[in-house]
Amino acid sequence: MDYLQYVDGNTFLHRLDPRTKFVFLVAMAVLTSVIKSGAALLFLLVFFLILWTACGIMKEMGQLLGKLKVLLLFIFLLWLVLGIFEEPPVELFKPFYKGQIGPIAICFDWYDIYKGFVYALRIYLMIASFYTVMITTNFSEIILGLCKWHIPYSIAFAVGLVFQIIPIVIGELNSIMEAQSSRGLEIEQCKWYTKVKNYIIFSFPLFFRIIQKAQSISLAMYYYKLDFNRKRSSYKTIKSSKRDLVFALVTLFVIVVTVVLRIKFYVPV
Amino acid sequence: MSYSINNITYQYSETGPKVLDDVSLTIEEGTVTAVVGPSGSGKSTLVQILSGVIPNLVAGGVLSGELNLEKDGAPALISVVSQTPEDQLFGYGVEDAIAFGLENMGTPEDEISDSIEYVLDLLNLQSLRKRSVAALSGGQRQAVCIASVLAMKPQVLIMDEPVSSLDPNGKKMIRNVLNQMKADYTTVLIVDNNLDWSCDIVDRVVGLNEGKVLFEGTRDEFFRSFDLQRTLGVMIPQEVEIYRALKEQGQPVSMFYQYDDAVEQLDKLFAEKPGSVRNIRPQTFKDPVVTTHQLNKIFADGFQGLRDINVSIPENSVTAILGQNGSGKTTLVKHLNGLLKPTTGDVRFRGNTIAGKSVAQISRSVILVFQHPEHMLFEQTVLEELTFCGRMQGLPFTDEDVLKVLETYGLADEKETFPLNLSMGKKHLLTILSVLLSYAEVVILDEPTLGMDLKIRSEMEDIITNLKNDGKTVIMISHEIPLVFKTVDYAVILDSSVKIYEGSKEDLAVRDDIFDSIDINLPPVVRLSRRYGFDHISYNVPDFAEQAAAVLKEGGEA
Repeated sequence: MDYLQYVDGNTFLHRLDPRTKFVFLVAMAVLTSVIKSGAALLFLLVFFLILWTACGIMKEMGQLLGKLKVLLLFIFLLWLVLGIFEEPPVELFKPFYKGQIGPIAICFDWYDIYKGFVYALRIYLMIASFYTVMITTNFSEIILGLCKWHIPYSIAFAVGLVFQIIPIVIGELNSIMEAQSSRGLEIEQCKWYTKVKNYIIFSFPLFFRIIQKAQSISLAMYYYKLDFNRKRSSYKTIKSSKRDLVFALVTLFVIVVTVVLRIKFYVPV
Repeated sequence: MSYSINNITYQYSETGPKVLDDVSLTIEEGTVTAVVGPSGSGKSTLVQILSGVIPNLVAGGVLSGELNLEKDGAPALISVVSQTPEDQLFGYGVEDAIAFGLENMGTPEDEISDSIEYVLDLLNLQSLRKRSVAALSGGQRQAVCIASVLAMKPQVLIMDEPVSSLDPNGKKMIRNVLNQMKADYTTVLIVDNNLDWSCDIVDRVVGLNEGKVLFEGTRDEFFRSFDLQRTLGVMIPQEVEIYRALKEQGQPVSMFYQYDDAVEQLDKLFAEKPGSVRNIRPQTFKDPVVTTHQLNKIFADGFQGLRDINVSIPENSVTAILGQNGSGKTTLVKHLNGLLKPTTGDVRFRGNTIAGKSVAQISRSVILVFQHPEHMLFEQTVLEELTFCGRMQGLPFTDEDVLKVLETYGLADEKETFPLNLSMGKKHLLTILSVLLSYAEVVILDEPTLGMDLKIRSEMEDIITNLKNDGKTVIMISHEIPLVFKTVDYAVILDSSVKIYEGSKEDLAVRDDIFDSIDINLPPVVRLSRRYGFDHISYNVPDFAEQAAAVLKEGGEA
């Protein structure tokens, strides 16, 4: 899987002004941080599913879910276990089990599952909203969008460069792992601490490859006369269109519905 | 009009050795000049001085001498195209990447647009303009890199080993780009010890060795200087090697460096007898050691990397896997050592499936050496690196075994050296040498000559011979067709994920149809020995020259 690698396309989301997508990203980050209602989060999930399907990135989001499943399962189980030690704030269903282990009262009920589900879904939506924007906005657009917001070019360029380099670094790490296992280093059928040790082994050549890449990039910046103190021109420009307005209105509608659902169906978690 | 540097001497530190020592050379405007020389000759330092990286970006060194790099009283703009365009191109799309330098120079938008049109037309790249850089092939990426630099209208364009990682199609594309630039009177400096691909484009040659200029003159003068070519370890076209061998025999031939010129010259010596090679030497092979059975690979994105591949690699043979980039060569060999799992089908070693085994377990039977040594080297010394495979596999070896390998291949003096400080060629040699101390019976080499000069290449050829003599099976991916025919016994050719040939080298050498279909030329020695009906097909220049001498002794009739 190519993490955070732009997925080429010409969908509605791809054609939006990057600034609109940045605002969307901030709005979704705030929303998923604040909202802890299962119903509201489920509505957000449905909205995202429609968005991903419309933009043809369902496969990539499915792959993201696959990569996050261990983390999400961990979060789910963590909150489920913590919930066992408290009573549900609302008595909706009969507890599955209620009893005493020594001095500790335990209550395993629907609320524990709900709490685990809400926290796992929040984390997934938080990451997925970031991912949605990043894989539909290429780094040239990111730089253009940031520059339009009067972010200094040096910072915008650095942000863009990070997104250009991430797939290269991941590719290098994969090649190093393949090369070392091809020479006899066991990375598949080994214990977890051996795997950790192996990652330390991989980090050494990876570090040198990154240094080499950084040197090459700094040379290229010199060859292309990049000087952050000099005023640059811009070949491409971006401007908002009716499409951005429509998307902003849809986003606003989603925010309002989410907030309403939060108010109507809130169960404290 | 010309640019020149006079008496340039450079040390990276006050106490360091002279990397360049009293170097003087001239770059004529509108010409293509090749700078050649072995690893460590000072080529890269020269590029950095010409481009201003030294002293503007790399400070702390000691530079003396005179640089006359001005045009109309202003410093000439000298741009560089590196050998790794993926590290040089900034921007997501092709247009973004080409515009980057112009934007940095503050060029107005309409002028940027005109410049982009100009370079895309000049280099015939209009079809790529809406593509993303990441989706381009190696050759296309390098061409876009050249376009992005040319758009800035440099007075001199330096190309640092521009085709070192390209397949034959990629090389062809860059050759076309260079021809266009030459027609446009662009001043180009190619820094590359391989003149094989650029011999018909280059006008002048500068030869560097140990920081000194050993030669400066025309291309033809250089190709006539046989000793110099050997001293500098320059890769030359096989046609020139043939010319050199015949000339050293005292044959009356004029200079040729391309196949058509060779034919013109040799037609004067030999009667043409196509299809009449007297002896096709039958090759016999042992039983297969590695086999694939209806191997199919479909990647996560739906791309079919292999389609119903059945191959049987004979034991104790040297087998080449050939094809253009993207044909499935690397995908196939990664199945042989278990790095990739087949979608359907099976890989077997000595008749037993490798399914279910880890790559490390398979490495005791089949070992793969990657083409980029930086992915493999991580030990502190050359000595430790050499023994890595052996230690991982629990192979018993003595210090004498290790020292013998180091001494045989000229690394004994560097046994305590940090491996990443070796030259590119030596780093690659070290990764290949490390498999000598392993249990593996099958050794797969992916582009084994990458970054090697002539001397190290010759050592690499010795390693392959020694591995075979030790009873091992060698599988090699290479784009260097003359080397392949010189070295291998058996070949598998892939085209668009499908196997289109499997068999002996002898049979392959008469299959023009196969080579036409993959758009690769057979080596000149093969084509010429067939053309003139020699006793047998030649696979290397000494054998060709020997047969030619025998035929001429008989009176010119094969």
